[in-house]
Amino acid sequence: MQRFLIMCRSLTYAQRAASALERAGITAGLSRAPQSLSVNGCAYCVYVRAERLSPALKVLERAGAPHGKLYRCEPDGRYTEVGA
Amino acid sequence: MIYLDSAATTLQKPRAVGEAMLRALRTMASPGRGGHTPAQLAGDTAFACREALCRMFNAPSPEDVVFTMNATHALNIALASLVKPGARVVISCWEHNAVTRALRFLGAEIDVVRAPLFDREAALEGFRARIPGADCVVCTHVSNVFGFVMPVYQIAELCRDNGVPFVLDASQSAGAMKVDMARLGAAFIAMPGHKGLLGPQGTGVLLCGAPSRPVMAGGTGSESRSQLMPDFLPDRLEAGTHNIPGIAGLLEGVRYLERAGVEASGAMERRLIRNLGMQLRSIPGLEVFLAGDESAQSGVLSISHESVGSEELGAALGALGVCVRAGLHCAPLAHESAGTLERGTVRLSVSPFNTAQELRRVPALVRRSLDALA
Repeated sequence: MQRFLIMCRSLTYAQRAASALERAGITAGLSRAPQSLSVNGCAYCVYVRAERLSPALKVLERAGAPHGKLYRCEPDGRYTEVGA
Repeated sequence: MIYLDSAATTLQKPRAVGEAMLRALRTMASPGRGGHTPAQLAGDTAFACREALCRMFNAPSPEDVVFTMNATHALNIALASLVKPGARVVISCWEHNAVTRALRFLGAEIDVVRAPLFDREAALEGFRARIPGADCVVCTHVSNVFGFVMPVYQIAELCRDNGVPFVLDASQSAGAMKVDMARLGAAFIAMPGHKGLLGPQGTGVLLCGAPSRPVMAGGTGSESRSQLMPDFLPDRLEAGTHNIPGIAGLLEGVRYLERAGVEASGAMERRLIRNLGMQLRSIPGLEVFLAGDESAQSGVLSISHESVGSEELGAALGALGVCVRAGLHCAPLAHESAGTLERGTVRLSVSPFNTAQELRRVPALVRRSLDALA
């Protein structure tokens, strides 16, 4: 199952994003961001299944929930930045 | 015991408040720090509380809900964000030291709108005359001494019309009457968690609608490489470890009020205090500060005797099991405005947990106290 990470600047932003997604029926996990993606240190991310990324981004836009970069989780453990 | 000091702190809380605090102590760590289950539980609780407060006060979004230690802390952040030395800040004549001392500390020029007690029209006219050209307006929603409900929605409208930022001190109104941030268009709204919101001491809230300036710096669990405070809320204003047991308790207080209904609860408090005031009026020598227009007074009432000191009356009532607060209530400006600065008053204030039955006993206990002191 391929997953995408939606980066968030803080825990509260990530919680707000996850909450908006859950309300829209999109399952979203919340966790601390991987070290390699935490450029400024201590960031959070919300992850969704690949097929739910597009609707998830629409939900976040409608909810006015700010988010950062998007990454695809590769099978070898790396993260590849993708455009919105 | 009859507890009538809820304007200071509500003593009786919903049972769930204490239970949630104990659960938080046993199971929760710090939000935004570890990624483990106890940290996640703490984060979930903090966010649930932000969401509940956001709903209750119609705030822009959960991240605009900032946890503070108390209302004073919240007001200090709000004022530090808006007020520079020499700024002209218009305030009502019913403000608490949390506003007046903070403004003096910041070097503001304090411009007081003076108007008679319970006269909302006069207060509004005073604000109308002074708001143009002001740098900021700060107003309490309800006087902590007299329960005077200020016309804050109209004052906020005047501020919007003149492009002046408005700060609301909702210390006595949060949880007891409708406080609508969107309708007010306020720059900031400050409130305690431990009064009308029925949470524990050590909790406060700042609702943010304007750019803010931290009064404390430190770890936030975000952007840790940077040596500057984050530029986003709530992290910008929440340095250091959160009071998670307090926030867990506050959440349950807010949930209780959501179920009971803030306006219904506040209306019941106003009825209780009005009935009490009417009964106390029959006591010789006792001045009862009761509004002619009942909508101008909340569940807070001050009394003062012509020959018995307020502290003595307060102590005598305390000895009979009636918990009140006497003196100046950290609001010398309000007492000066009402002409009670020298003698102070005895304040009686209720919460949703007071009953008509217990309040019916109070006038007799006041008489007994006065007889003993005469």
